[in-house]
Amino acid sequence: MLHIKPIISSLLRSKSGPVLLLLQIILSVAIVANASFIIHERIALMQRDSGIAEEEILTFSLYNFDDRIDNAQQNKQDQRILAALPNVQAVTSTNMIPLSDSGWSDVYVDSPDKDIAKQTPNFAFYLGNEQMLDTLGVKLIEGRNFSAEEVIYSLTDAGAQAIISLPLAKAFWGDESPVGKTMYAGDSSIKIIGVVEKLHGAWVDTDNFEYSVIQNVDFGGEGKNKSYMLRAKKEHIPELKEAIVKALHQDNPNRVINQIKTIAEYKASSYRHHELMVAVLTLMVVLLLLITSLGLTGMVMFNIQRRTKQIGTRRALGAKKRDIISYFMVENYLICIVGGVLGGLLAIQLGQQLMKIYSLPMLEWQYPALTLAGLFVVTSLAVVVPATRAANISPATATRSA
Amino acid sequence: MFFYYCDLAWRSIKNTPALSVLMVLAISIGIGITITSLNVYQMMANNPAKERSDVLNAVMLWSQGPDTWTKFNQNITYQDAMGLRNSQVPSRQVASFRTGMAVQSDNKDIEPELESIRVTDSDFFGLFSVPFLFGGAWDKGVDTRASYQVVISEALNLKHFNGANSVGKNFYLNGKPYQIVGVIKDWNPQPKYYDPTNGAFNHAEGIYLPFSLTPIEEFDVWGNTNGWQFEPMGTYQDRLNSEKAWIQFWVELDNPEHKASYQEWLSQYVEKQKSFGRFTADKNPKESVSLMDVQQWLEYSKAVSKDNKILVGLSFLFLAVCLVNILGLMLTKFLKRAPEVGVRRAIGASRGQIFSQYMVEVGVIGLLGGVMGLLWAWAALSILSTHFDMAKSLTQLDLSMWFITPAIAISTAVLAGLYPAWVVCRTNPSIYLKSQ
Repeated sequence: MLHIKPIISSLLRSKSGPVLLLLQIILSVAIVANASFIIHERIALMQRDSGIAEEEILTFSLYNFDDRIDNAQQNKQDQRILAALPNVQAVTSTNMIPLSDSGWSDVYVDSPDKDIAKQTPNFAFYLGNEQMLDTLGVKLIEGRNFSAEEVIYSLTDAGAQAIISLPLAKAFWGDESPVGKTMYAGDSSIKIIGVVEKLHGAWVDTDNFEYSVIQNVDFGGEGKNKSYMLRAKKEHIPELKEAIVKALHQDNPNRVINQIKTIAEYKASSYRHHELMVAVLTLMVVLLLLITSLGLTGMVMFNIQRRTKQIGTRRALGAKKRDIISYFMVENYLICIVGGVLGGLLAIQLGQQLMKIYSLPMLEWQYPALTLAGLFVVTSLAVVVPATRAANISPATATRSA
Repeated sequence: MFFYYCDLAWRSIKNTPALSVLMVLAISIGIGITITSLNVYQMMANNPAKERSDVLNAVMLWSQGPDTWTKFNQNITYQDAMGLRNSQVPSRQVASFRTGMAVQSDNKDIEPELESIRVTDSDFFGLFSVPFLFGGAWDKGVDTRASYQVVISEALNLKHFNGANSVGKNFYLNGKPYQIVGVIKDWNPQPKYYDPTNGAFNHAEGIYLPFSLTPIEEFDVWGNTNGWQFEPMGTYQDRLNSEKAWIQFWVELDNPEHKASYQEWLSQYVEKQKSFGRFTADKNPKESVSLMDVQQWLEYSKAVSKDNKILVGLSFLFLAVCLVNILGLMLTKFLKRAPEVGVRRAIGASRGQIFSQYMVEVGVIGLLGGVMGLLWAWAALSILSTHFDMAKSLTQLDLSMWFITPAIAISTAVLAGLYPAWVVCRTNPSIYLKSQ
């Protein structure tokens, strides 16, 4: 027994209240749907697996400002010092730090002949020694690692080798194995000797985030400014942060060591703007639902109070408490459904605008639908309480007053 | 009368505490969220060049070959920077890039520290209106005949020289002495428009060195270096001779005619370069140059993030929901008081008086909501700066917000109150008099 027809006609008789309710629901659905869609997207971005042991990799930059320092020699010496520190599992020099928002990118071509050469997609370009894979904790799935003898000291030296990430291999070679192939960069030829399952680059927002290459170059000797990565168990990281500075300064004080951070720390700051967006939008959704439900409760309470006489009359005529409550519930659901449908349409419109202006992906229909479901629950709660209270009024009091 | 209405409003608010608190809360949360996102947006969209925005122009050149980059690079090559510096057309012009070195002074108590440095021309300070505390820029002659001179910031001067006039003293960069010629006052344009490629909200460098030292001292580049073709970079000379873009170039052009004649000069420059086999893209010389004033440049640099625009949009929608919400609540509240209005009307209050009485009440609620919203915004901004590491400059509550917030709050409330007040002042007194 839903009595939809009298409910509709009574709604149409006093329009302003229901219209406001409707408007609020429409706007709420539009906002909440789009906000939760963006939240979901960002969380998915942040949860991507970088392929490396983020919390076990300690990195730092080293700046030798004294001209008398022979950078190449010092580099070798420093790596020996670092490797000898207690609890260090692997050490490498590097040109860029994963997930750090700053680094190198490059492309290879597949032929020395410029006219027919095809270009790989742009990839994150890592340089490191034979311990690079162990330091990063990446999984080699095909081919082999560099050997210590194969490591070269400059990009222009002969004997360049590369280990590439599987997504890059798939993007350029398809199902064919890239191992054993020769690639080119300018005048130098590079032999691909291995494939790692996963290795993220430096910029969390690029499309080519999963395309990475490691080349067998011990980069630390090239200039004054250098970076190192070393791997240790998580519990040893804090003590190593201090031990590194001490040991390196002991060897040669004329240098500045800074940016001593784990990759997990870099990751946190690189993703911070996404985290911020998630936090702000979540707060917005929660507050919106709160305000909507509070406002709704207030309005419903008043509406019910105003109709005490009507309720009393209905009760006197034999309506059960259940009937009174269901009357208000049905009224609420009617508004919710209409508001939800209109709101859903508006949400999709809004989503399309966002998509056009900000190249966001298309809003999926589940979001408005879920939002509506949520609103059903929230508004039911907001209606049930005052409706029950109204239904408890005895018919006698209700008809007497006002 | 106004104060009497304020008194009435206050009494009415006290009479229905729950409903009033709900309304104030709704407005304040809506306002708080809107002001927070608006504040960050305004800080990001700020044009720090102010009235000089039109005369300052960033120069970009389409030096890349065909089928390489799809838009103008924000940086130019070293050879182009040297070529452009020969022009007599602009009133001022500066090439610059970012580097960094270990800093020491004669004060040996201070450990050497790595500092970022801007390598630039003497006109940098005039062009970007950098204020000086002591001394000034190096002599213009130093731009061609390199000399080991340096300009440092107020902060470094305070740290190394206790704030005393340090002009003429030595400052050591990577252990090499440079003579201090000037100390600039605290200067930090936000966004950092003269070089947004290094993070538009990073702090301005604290040390300035002559650009002419670049080939001699072979300064590292702490910034983007973009190449569109493979070039060996074994030596620093390779970098200087290459097609790699890594230098920011700005000119000062006083009026549109001046700009047009410089544009003409630039196309001639490109034409000449084309004859040397550079600028190989299929573009005519006029299309190969771009001059952008600060406003255009900030938009090109996308200083305002996409996320922020989305947030501003959503927060205004949020405010709209709050508005609808309080509209409903007010309608509820005012209609409840219809009998009272009936009596007042019968005693002789005009519709206008009833209407203004309710508008005052609505305004008071708006004001309370605004004040509370400002508190929310202030709290939200301090959370943003501490918890999310956002740049300090973006999370300061702008002075204008102290006026904008109550204005938005009161007008939102008044807007929401218009309809309920109108409904209630149309009340027919007789009905209520009868029913009582």
